[in-house]
Amino acid sequence: MSSDKHMKILVIDDFSTMRKVIKNLLKQGGYNNVAEADDGISALKILRSETIDMIISDWNMPNMNGLDLLKTVRADRELSGTPFLMVTAEGLRDNVVLAVKEGVSNYIVKPFTAEVLNEKIEEILKRTENKG
Amino acid sequence: MKQEELSDRIDEMVSDFLFLDEGVIDIPSAGKFLNHIDGITAGVTTDTTEPVRRVACALRILIERLILDSIDQREGYLAVEGGITVMRGMIGGAAGGTGDAAVEEFMDRAARLVGSAADSDGRSEEAVMSSEGGSAAIDGGKRPFERDDEAVLRDFVTEGLEYLSDIETQVLNLEQCPEDSGCINALFRPFHSIKGVAGFLNLDDISNLAHDMEDLLDRVRTDHLSVTAPLIDIILSGTDALKEMIGSLQDVLDGIRSHPSRPDMALLRHRIAQIEDRFEEEGTVEKLGTILVGDGVITEETLAGALETAQEYPPKRLGETLLNGGAATSRQVSQALRKQAGQVMDAGTIRVDVKKLDDMVDMVGELVITQAMIKENPVIKGSEDKKLLEGLARLAGITSELQRTSTGLRMVPIRKTFQRMARLIRDLARESGKVVAVEMAGEDTEIDRNMTEEIYTPLVHMVRNAVDHGIEEPRTRISMGKPERGLISLSACHRGGNIVIEIADDGRGLDRKRILERAVEKGFMAEREELSERDIDRLLFLPGLSTAERVTDISGRGVGMDIVKEAVEQLQGKIDVSSSDGKGSTFTALFPLTMAIIDGMIVRVGSEQYIIPTASVRQLMRPRREHYHTVAGRGEVLEVMGESLPLLRLHKIFGTDGDHRDPWDSLVVVVEAEERSKCVCVDEVMGKEEVVIKSLGEKLKNVQGVSGGAILGSGSVGLILDPDSLFALCER
Repeated sequence: MSSDKHMKILVIDDFSTMRKVIKNLLKQGGYNNVAEADDGISALKILRSETIDMIISDWNMPNMNGLDLLKTVRADRELSGTPFLMVTAEGLRDNVVLAVKEGVSNYIVKPFTAEVLNEKIEEILKRTENKG
Repeated sequence: MKQEELSDRIDEMVSDFLFLDEGVIDIPSAGKFLNHIDGITAGVTTDTTEPVRRVACALRILIERLILDSIDQREGYLAVEGGITVMRGMIGGAAGGTGDAAVEEFMDRAARLVGSAADSDGRSEEAVMSSEGGSAAIDGGKRPFERDDEAVLRDFVTEGLEYLSDIETQVLNLEQCPEDSGCINALFRPFHSIKGVAGFLNLDDISNLAHDMEDLLDRVRTDHLSVTAPLIDIILSGTDALKEMIGSLQDVLDGIRSHPSRPDMALLRHRIAQIEDRFEEEGTVEKLGTILVGDGVITEETLAGALETAQEYPPKRLGETLLNGGAATSRQVSQALRKQAGQVMDAGTIRVDVKKLDDMVDMVGELVITQAMIKENPVIKGSEDKKLLEGLARLAGITSELQRTSTGLRMVPIRKTFQRMARLIRDLARESGKVVAVEMAGEDTEIDRNMTEEIYTPLVHMVRNAVDHGIEEPRTRISMGKPERGLISLSACHRGGNIVIEIADDGRGLDRKRILERAVEKGFMAEREELSERDIDRLLFLPGLSTAERVTDISGRGVGMDIVKEAVEQLQGKIDVSSSDGKGSTFTALFPLTMAIIDGMIVRVGSEQYIIPTASVRQLMRPRREHYHTVAGRGEVLEVMGESLPLLRLHKIFGTDGDHRDPWDSLVVVVEAEERSKCVCVDEVMGKEEVVIKSLGEKLKNVQGVSGGAILGSGSVGLILDPDSLFALCER
């Protein structure tokens, strides 16, 4: 699955304005098929009922934070291979390393431009492709 | 971990080693690698594998730095490769000789790479990210302002303001439970979210301020800062500033302004700096090194040297370093550590489950009753056993003390309530375009914790009255020669067994003419009736009288003062108002300190016993015949200290039997109830007791004249008189 602009991306953040911002940036990169969720729990519902090709999730959320969501996704038989991009603030060291150990596909630091977002997405997809 | 296992692990690690491809580390592989390293370090604990552990540690740090992009990718990769080779070599068996040299070489290389980057200690609060690829902010102002952006800005304003208004409530929660990490997180998140979006929208001022707030809270979370009143104030001030800035964005969008507002941050920054300094000075918990030096275990120089070594690569703890260097024995270090732990716990306060506290207070109440009953037991009463009586007297004293202490446990200063009110006043004033300052006195006055919530609503309504109807608009005030800023004073004090709360404003005072008009309109009085100014003021509490009709957004409809009076009286309290034309009004609310126990005078009338709250008893006397009169239209009166007071006969009021004696043959209790006193004729005074107030239940709750019941020492039930409503009963 190379950079397919039609792939379905799930954006998760409890701040709806942030979701809009990311959605806009994705649009600039040509990705228009975007779903939204405001926390890990509703994200899981969507993940289990639809085919999501990539998850872009914030770290700090109530109920179920990004890390817990990542762990749940990686532990789930069907969802485990889903590309997961974690959005963090200022690359707080502990968080990023934790996420990496739990199998995150990549991370991106707020605030970012559409170009950087695009790069990260392409990188993830390339790796997924290589692993076969 | 056996050699073989270790070898396998390393092989796995190597096969997952697919890193560099066009100069960027593969994150998932890095993750797996790290997990392998963890496995290796966990399994390697014996001395012989110490070098393995060191190398593994170094590898871990190198990979982390590569992930965080804070060291050169190419060099880092090569270093990692080197490390893996060394590790393999060690497992291969060469424990000494070339093996060691290779290890040291690798360690040096790793140290050099890492040392030249950002931090070397375990935690860094600064951004470790420095690479350009990671965090380029949006080009300020050079991007065209697209349609989409406007929608996002509008959302940001709406949501941002919502988040900020949540913060206020959360801050109050934080004050109540400063150690609750859920609370701290709940506060942290809105600032974090606002900062996040502000960064994208290039709103630097907002982003920076939100970051400062976030930073403060993060430090609270990691125990580098404690929750104090100044800290709370700073958070609230920061929130206000953010509200202003974000709110002004709306104006920018609507074309009213060209730039968002930039409030002066210097003062806030200064206050933040002060708080940090103060915390560091106070430093409730000493550092381990300080304790050891203080105890004379090591010298300052040794400490300095050890700290340096400890920070060298790979980072070690101070205690370990001292032990390794032989500067301190393990006993000395662990003693110091225990001391430190003790300091952490010695906070001076302890958190207690509210339910447990309430249960305890209830039980103490039962204890008081039971102890009184024992005292009244005829066997005990008739006993001449000195020891028994002494013991009982002591028991009574202890019970009394216990009761005082336990109700005291539930007492909290009214400060928090006042602070809530102060914020409310600020918001109300701003909404109605008025300028109001708030002054407080007696914030340390204590009130039962359970009561604080209950009294808040009536107080809010009084406050609203003061702001909406009391304080005039700035223009009006100036034209009247008053300072532009109105003043609302909140004060509290203890009086008798009650807490008295006053809300005074320096506004226009009550509009007596209007009140009279409405009273006549509503049929509460005839047109020509003569009333004193005070009485007119009090008409405010009649239904439909208060002119609060405006719909305000805090609770919906404005609420009449009659509802407020009811609410206050439901809590066994009283409310009063006094006003001075053009100068202001003062609302006075009185609430019992605690709902549980009351000190009362037990009196007998006929076969019934009643309890008169000691706080309301002015005097107990046996009147002289010549002081007794009957006055046409007023009934029986007694002359007491020059005053002519009405005489009440309880058996007549309550329809029971009495001994029917002349007042000069019986006892009279002069009872006081807000502003007036009356004489209550009783057959006998049984004594003074602290009784546990028992509610009369739903059906009898509103009986006038009585506020509850109590189980007396004799085991019988006595009714607790409520002087105010009792008097009202007779006045009708």
